[in-house]
Amino acid sequence: MEAFLQHLLNGLLLGGTYALLGIGLTLIFGLMNVVNFAHGEFYTLGAYLTFAAASLLRVNFVLAIAVAILGGSLLGALCERVLLRPLRGESIDTTMLVMIGLWIATQNGELLAWGGVAKSIPHPFPTAPIVIGPVSVAPLRLFVLAAVLVLIAGSHVLIHRTRLGVAMRATFQDRETAALMGIDVGGIHTLTFAFGSGLAAAAGALLGPIFLVYPSMGDLAALKAFSVVILGGLGNFAGATLGGVILGIAEELGAGYVSSGYRDAVGFVIIILVLLVRPSGLFARAGRVG
Amino acid sequence: MRRWVLTWIAPTSLALVIVSAGVAQQDPIKIGVIAPLSGPVAASGNYVRMGAEIARDWINARGGVHGRRVALLVEDNKSDPKEAAGAAEKLIARDQVPVLMGAWGSSMTLAAMPKLEEYGVPMVVETSSAASITKRGNPWVFRISPPSEMEALGLEKYLGALGIRQADFMAVNTDWGRGAVTAFGDMLRRHNAGIGAVEFMDQAATDMNAQLTKIRGAGGDTLFLTTSVEQITLVLKQAQELRVARRIITTGGSSSPSQLVKQAGAAAEDSYHIVFFMPWFPEAMPDPNLAKAFVDEWTRRGNPFEGLTEGFRGHDGIATIAEAIRIASRAEPQAIREALWKVSLMGLNGPIKFEKDGPAGRESGQSRPSIFLVQIKGGKAALPAFLRK
Amino acid sequence: MTTPFWLPNPYHLHILIMAGIFSILALSLNLLLGYTGLLSLGHAAFFGIGAYTSALLALKAGWPFVAGFVAAVVLAGGSGYAIGRLALRLRGAYFVLVTISFAGVASLVSVNWMELTNGPLGLPGIPAAEVAGFVFRTKRAVYYLVLAVAGLAYLVCRRLVRSRMGRAFVALRENEALAASVGVDGARHLGLATVISAGMAGGAGSLYAHYTRFVSPEVFLFSYTVTMVIMVVAGGKGTLAGPIVGAVIFTILPEALREATSWQWQMLLYGVLLILTLLFLPRGIVPALTAWRDRR
Repeated sequence: MEAFLQHLLNGLLLGGTYALLGIGLTLIFGLMNVVNFAHGEFYTLGAYLTFAAASLLRVNFVLAIAVAILGGSLLGALCERVLLRPLRGESIDTTMLVMIGLWIATQNGELLAWGGVAKSIPHPFPTAPIVIGPVSVAPLRLFVLAAVLVLIAGSHVLIHRTRLGVAMRATFQDRETAALMGIDVGGIHTLTFAFGSGLAAAAGALLGPIFLVYPSMGDLAALKAFSVVILGGLGNFAGATLGGVILGIAEELGAGYVSSGYRDAVGFVIIILVLLVRPSGLFARAGRVG
Repeated sequence: MRRWVLTWIAPTSLALVIVSAGVAQQDPIKIGVIAPLSGPVAASGNYVRMGAEIARDWINARGGVHGRRVALLVEDNKSDPKEAAGAAEKLIARDQVPVLMGAWGSSMTLAAMPKLEEYGVPMVVETSSAASITKRGNPWVFRISPPSEMEALGLEKYLGALGIRQADFMAVNTDWGRGAVTAFGDMLRRHNAGIGAVEFMDQAATDMNAQLTKIRGAGGDTLFLTTSVEQITLVLKQAQELRVARRIITTGGSSSPSQLVKQAGAAAEDSYHIVFFMPWFPEAMPDPNLAKAFVDEWTRRGNPFEGLTEGFRGHDGIATIAEAIRIASRAEPQAIREALWKVSLMGLNGPIKFEKDGPAGRESGQSRPSIFLVQIKGGKAALPAFLRK
Repeated sequence: MTTPFWLPNPYHLHILIMAGIFSILALSLNLLLGYTGLLSLGHAAFFGIGAYTSALLALKAGWPFVAGFVAAVVLAGGSGYAIGRLALRLRGAYFVLVTISFAGVASLVSVNWMELTNGPLGLPGIPAAEVAGFVFRTKRAVYYLVLAVAGLAYLVCRRLVRSRMGRAFVALRENEALAASVGVDGARHLGLATVISAGMAGGAGSLYAHYTRFVSPEVFLFSYTVTMVIMVVAGGKGTLAGPIVGAVIFTILPEALREATSWQWQMLLYGVLLILTLLFLPRGIVPALTAWRDRR
């Protein structure tokens, strides 16, 4: 039983970060219809920026994370303007391929800039775990969980309670009408991409200190993000949040009780099953998909 | 049809012009090096390259081999077997190298091996640990790194001192990890030690909590860990968080204890590591002067200290090749292959001399490297208590 | 056709052989991507299934190459059928993800199912291809074999595309509802397209296994699929020459970069070149060349 509780807790913590990644991607993929293979690179970038700020510039830990999120968003905005906007009318495959090119270039650029040796990010939390009954958890992870909750709540507020959020949702529901209503459609696209990338960078900034920072860290994360998006339904914010947690717990329990070698298969199998049974995601309303 | 032919020929020709533009020089002796310089194990591949470069520079400073300079032609195998085979192809067929060193990972080495037989060019294997490499009946393969079985034998003599009763295993899900589990498992069984949980992790996995929770429940006294230094760091940290309290022994020689201390901090304390080179106390190596000189030169070049536990492989590989060329008196593949059997050299790891391994009549060469055990104590690498005089 | 005679260097032949194998892959992917509009990002799975099938049958059951090749095509095609059935209900982004997941699961199975696939150690020592007693051992021989199969693949694609079935594919791609209303059976056609496409990829896998003589789980790597997609889209999807041109260029390009720059810059430049190609030629190279030629 105590192993089960530990697995559950591990899964919850991991799931929170998957949720962050998923929310960012569901906005970009679901709303902008861009198969963003570079999403994982913003995750990696967030981690490297945190490393640079915390290790090299010796900035305060929380501030370093904030810097990383800001940097990720700005770079996301830049990407949208330079790469995606000119290709606005093109097919989904072309934009996808450009994102792939960006993925290859960024990852190898990071390899060139930082070298292949993994970096660790210093943090102010004690390393001794906090023990609650049969389970133990590191203080850093609790901090990360708290930060994740804050970010998710903040995003929810942004999307559902502000005029900007309304504008975003309107644009993606019906572009022409939104433009007629005076919404700057181009600007919304840029902001959405920036926001999604910023969240990915946040996930990287928060997970970087827990794990390690290296150029290919984003690859697996990106694939899991796609899983989460499918699970929760394209463009579905709440779905992505719940989906992330479910994926995290399912992976942990799968690895703990079935087989650790097939751990990452859990995400894939989920995608296949969900799409077979309920293609619009577990939490969306039913309808023809695509 | 004509347009179609044009669209085919034009880009092909253009690219081939670029490809042929590099003219190979005839004078220096060329040694091909295949290593993973990009991809997930880029750090290790680069350390091996750095070590090889030191060996090359030392050889050239002493006048080269029979008066000819040594040049290294380094190709990236991108941690992909297909690229490793392609790199071997290019080095042999286009650059005409008479001998190779590589390819770090066992799958990459196995993929390149058919090319060695196809063209008749020998290769010195400096890192790969899969047993099959020297058992496949490929007479062009010469390995200076230990297969997992030899590593396990190296540890065998310390079993009593360590007092291992029941061991669990955690290994990366590659031929290396699986090979280590088999080799060490067999060795433990011979001494009536029990084997508890055997868990694997994907090469790219960062969260090993599930496996560690299971191991915590298995209740052994020792955990054998075989994976890259990055994953070892993560496992150590997560083991500390989950309060998995037991003796940890890492195998494979890629654990870079210095890097672990830096990145895992207190979580690395008391852990044991099987290594093949001890840069912290070069005086304990079989050739202390050589070891010290290498460590000094490495540091002088600004290479990261953590890389020494792998970089020495590059040096020993090149030194072995150079010695073979010296014995052969010519840089010609068949001659070098025969000369490799006659090599008897003191490398950084210890004596290098090849013995026959594999099916009769088509044996590969396997040397018997020295195996060392160190422990992290007080934030530094040290010889375990029972080994200190 | 006469290339091996004025390009005797085996390294260059090796590049051309790989380009040939990838042409087959690109042509097969183009059937889905370019003609039916289905974006499959799991194509490496069919390639890998073909490679492993052929290798295992040759190594463990002693089957002759031709039988193994056929089995590879059939098995890969069968998996394609399964994916095709899924396509009945899904389109666009969702289909993409199912295909990625399929490839991911295939990859994990090949790594973990040690008894069947030998796991990460891979399958070394695969015999060379052999047809009616002639063994394709030399590079030159393999080159002609690959050329023949690639030519066959091209012809198959051409016939398919120009037939009624091909027009049905395009109709489905452009506007499925409309196509259905004129009696185009989406389910049957998409199913067929995926089976043929997957089967071709499986055949390429078999060729690859018997040329490199070594197969390991890395054939399921996502990067192989990415490479194929690059070749099709950058070459020009929806055209017949596009994938071939794309395959040749993007097989030669990494090797040319190996020559031109040191290893640190190779992949970085590759990514940059890819981005630039797409920004300037968003439809692909062959359509751009065609448009340019038509304009003069």
